Amino acid sequence: MRLPRFEYLGPKTLEGALDLMATHRDDAKILAGGTDLLVRMKKGLIRPKTIISLKALDELAYIKRDTRENRNNILIGGRTLIADIIASDLVQRKAPALSRACERIGAITLQHFVGTLAGNILQDNRCWHYNQSQFHRSGRGACHKDGGKICYARQDSDRCNSTCQSDGATALMALNASITLQRKGGRRRVDLADFYTNDGIAPHAIESHELLTQICIPIQGGQSAYKRLSYRSAIDYPLVCAGVLLIPSTASPTEISEARIVVGAMGRSPLYMAAASASLGGKKLDDTDAFQKAGKAAMDTAATFAVHNVGSTLEYRYAMVAEMVFQALTEAGEAARETGQKAANKGVQ
Amino acid sequence: MSEYAIIGKRMPRVDSRAKVMGKTKFTADLNLPNMLVGKIKRSPHAHARIIHNDTTKAKAPPGVMSVVTGKDTAGVKWGVFAYTRDQQFIQTDKARYIGDEVAGVAAIDEETALKALDLIEVEYEILPPVFDPMEAMTMETELIHTEFPNNINIHVNIDTGQVDENFAKAHYIREDTFVAPEESYFQAEPYAVVARFDSEDCLEIWCPNGGPHMKSKPLSNAFKIPLHRVKVRKIAIGGAFGGRSEICPADYICALLAKKTGRPVKIKFTREENTIATRQGHAMITTHRTGVDQEGRVLARETTCYMDGGAYSSTGPIATSVPFLSMEQAYRMGSVRYNGYRIYTNKPIRGMIRVHGRGFAAGLDTQLDMIAAHLNIDPVEMRLKNSRQQGEYTSTKSFVASCAMDETIHKAVAKSGFSEKFGNLPPFHGIGMGTNSVQTGFPMGIRGGSQAFIKFNEDGEATVMSGVVDNGQGNDNMVVQIAAEELGLLPEDIHLVSADTETTASDPGSYSQVSTFVGGQAVKIAAQNCRAKLFDVAAKVLKVEPSTLAAKNRLIFVKDTPEICIPIKKVVRISLLNFTSVNAEGGYWPRVDMKREWVSNPYGQMCEAFSFGTTIVEVKVNPATGQVTVLNATAAQDVGYALNPLVLEGQFEGSIAMGGQGGMLTEYHEWKEGRCLNPTMLDYKLPLACDMPPIHSIMVESIDPKGPYGAKEAAMSIAMSAAQAYAAAVSNAIGVYMDSFPLTPDKILAAIKAKENKEPE
Repeated sequence: MRLPRFEYLGPKTLEGALDLMATHRDDAKILAGGTDLLVRMKKGLIRPKTIISLKALDELAYIKRDTRENRNNILIGGRTLIADIIASDLVQRKAPALSRACERIGAITLQHFVGTLAGNILQDNRCWHYNQSQFHRSGRGACHKDGGKICYARQDSDRCNSTCQSDGATALMALNASITLQRKGGRRRVDLADFYTNDGIAPHAIESHELLTQICIPIQGGQSAYKRLSYRSAIDYPLVCAGVLLIPSTASPTEISEARIVVGAMGRSPLYMAAASASLGGKKLDDTDAFQKAGKAAMDTAATFAVHNVGSTLEYRYAMVAEMVFQALTEAGEAARETGQKAANKGVQ
Repeated sequence: MSEYAIIGKRMPRVDSRAKVMGKTKFTADLNLPNMLVGKIKRSPHAHARIIHNDTTKAKAPPGVMSVVTGKDTAGVKWGVFAYTRDQQFIQTDKARYIGDEVAGVAAIDEETALKALDLIEVEYEILPPVFDPMEAMTMETELIHTEFPNNINIHVNIDTGQVDENFAKAHYIREDTFVAPEESYFQAEPYAVVARFDSEDCLEIWCPNGGPHMKSKPLSNAFKIPLHRVKVRKIAIGGAFGGRSEICPADYICALLAKKTGRPVKIKFTREENTIATRQGHAMITTHRTGVDQEGRVLARETTCYMDGGAYSSTGPIATSVPFLSMEQAYRMGSVRYNGYRIYTNKPIRGMIRVHGRGFAAGLDTQLDMIAAHLNIDPVEMRLKNSRQQGEYTSTKSFVASCAMDETIHKAVAKSGFSEKFGNLPPFHGIGMGTNSVQTGFPMGIRGGSQAFIKFNEDGEATVMSGVVDNGQGNDNMVVQIAAEELGLLPEDIHLVSADTETTASDPGSYSQVSTFVGGQAVKIAAQNCRAKLFDVAAKVLKVEPSTLAAKNRLIFVKDTPEICIPIKKVVRISLLNFTSVNAEGGYWPRVDMKREWVSNPYGQMCEAFSFGTTIVEVKVNPATGQVTVLNATAAQDVGYALNPLVLEGQFEGSIAMGGQGGMLTEYHEWKEGRCLNPTMLDYKLPLACDMPPIHSIMVESIDPKGPYGAKEAAMSIAMSAAQAYAAAVSNAIGVYMDSFPLTPDKILAAIKAKENKEPE
């Protein structure tokens, strides 16, 4: 398939990139790896006049810990390669959910050479009625995301039901991450939970001249985990995924003080499971029964969002929401208990 | 140890190095001077009458060199048999599936060609489509092809007699239905074709093919030019699996555009086009009713198979028989009645994939396991009781000259530890076996035989000219190995000219698993004839009888006193200086029953040899997700004789990947109103290398009396039996016999849950 013509711009600095974005606005798209962008361009889903490549912006490739002024965060530059995040000991220790998620993005070659975390967060929603060639989409009316008024995934739906299949977004939302959006002459910080619009056509609250420059993950003293399901062990987008964070109570370290459960690949955005998360407050870190119930609750919630548009069957994906949430909670619970145990042992010494 | 110098040895393929270095040129890599880009306009409707096809606007933009429609084709139709010619290369009256060709464009570049495609205005009258074969037979809407009532394209009936009588004698009878959807090839190389008419008005064409001579004949017919004017050229081929054997409408369209413009034209398919507009494997619904005696021996079987054929006939008559034939070869049956129906639907065209029809997906092995369980017989025993034996005739009267099926079973069982493991594994851990047989050849009429030529150059090296094509399986290497062995040369001394219709003689192609058996045999005979000429000259020089000579390592020597020898190069030079030819030919025609016909007379000698394979697979199923981890696979096949075990191992491994791991676990298509939703490698779940299990390959050698060095079909029996073994292993792991393929996690999980609900703990 042919890549349509475009103008290629390769700014050398962040400032230069922001200048170009301010000038070109909607006409430009950002190339930060291209595994999502170029495929969509080849299919004629988007036709940007200009591509602004972040290839030269090494200043946006970093992983560091920010402990200034009582802060305790992991900061990751937007253009950091997925492979570097996987290799990071800091991320591995303090945000294992993100490590696990990154390991499953694309394939090893993509992780090493092109894929970036910002690219993964900004990956467009997918739907197998939409992510198709121009030929496939001809001879029938256009779908909502393609500028029409039809949804092929859910009959008579008045809106787009495309699915957010980003591994990174699901893990990061569970980790309570926020992102920095920079534009010429300004910046804003947005909680990832507010960044996803739940609009299948425009799933991200970002302006065309804004650049996702940094991801900030608070280190909250809990344990996180990420589980996902696909038919093959690489390449595939998740059919279902779940990111969880369990923060033990300081008073009684074997109990959960706060839980965050986020389910991905089941809706237009990663879905924060408020009720299921709340149900775990005060529960023990090894309360299998509570984890199962939380999984079921997450399944019931996710089922109202999901449509049959990314593979397998809906029934199977529903069932796997419960399973992935349960598995993630179990893993995070175990890790939290181990950490608590170690801390306790240290205390004794 | 064999007495061969090169045959039977683990030799890296002659083409491997260039391929792994990225130096091999495939069709899409070809660039000829002044070449144009060709594109095909396809119907976006599954069933629609073409009211008007206006190309005026499309011809206008600068750079558009030619636009062709059905009006330019003179109505020529393609079909493998005279009675199945139902596919126009460009449709004139109606489109029958999403992807049907309605026009072609040649332009100076791809951008212009794509623009021209958009400017072609086709007016359609939408007709009610039908996508389900069972519905297609009863629908009262417009037939897909008016000449075929009930949309039934082919009906094959085979009846050996005594079926009802034998059912009456049976101790136990069971009837089961198995469902398998269509599948796709996903050759590494998407289809591409380059065509030009040369200064003498000969058509020169490059494309992936299953046999150049199988392409040249229909092109000769379509363009009404003699065969010698159709020059199908050799080009590296990135996989075929049966999907490159028939002529592709793109071949014709490309050549037509080249003819109209007087310039070379290249058409490159997108991955999507390769998926929907070449061929697919048939979707099948198969019912087996099997009656056995107390020992588990099959007395009678009745099999009915409904096959979704898609929009056109393709190789329909063959496909409609083979799901049955491969099983009748593998297993003895007292009597059998088979009814196969191939039904037209408004879906992509179904042809052969690895074999015609997909016997492995018909569930027969699963049913054998079910019967064995009922009779309390071990699956191994069940197969040994019914397995084909050497010297027998199949139900449709083919003599089986060589057969080591039992040995493949015994060796696979021993290597895998099947007997210790079966029934003794922990829950959700299973082991299963599959056995199958594949024919080496079909009656192919005038193109059933192969002829080869060998010429010696004065430097003592030889050029071999053979019609055999290599589309990935290593045929080039096979031909070189055979020629080097027989001529007493080293493989690097052989220059191969092959798969070119101008310079090589007729050959059946890499079709019906016959390349080695027929094409290799022809090369062997040619080399022997050539060697005999050299021996005559050498004998005079060495003053011995020609019969005392042997050739090896570039030398001709006396067998008993090898120190009496002469370099082959010298013999060639002496011959030429003494007015003696050093070239020779050889040909081989398999003795098959030419009166055997797929529909009208499905009895008689089908081919000269059959291969037999057994695969055993051990799996673990995750009861929470239904996902399968394959622990190991053991593949044993009666290959007759392993000409190159290194190449064969590769073929065995590929067969496990395609037949088992992909074919039985994850690969299937999703559709919406005739649109294929997963035409790409991202969405169609081909197996990945990192998901493959360890594979043990076992080559069993029965030394076929007719095959070259005893060789016959190799590895296809593995692809087929692997599918069955995967199904059996999963069924064994979860304690449910699965009857709907492929065994995706959702189906496995549903089966586990259904079983739990039925028998609460």
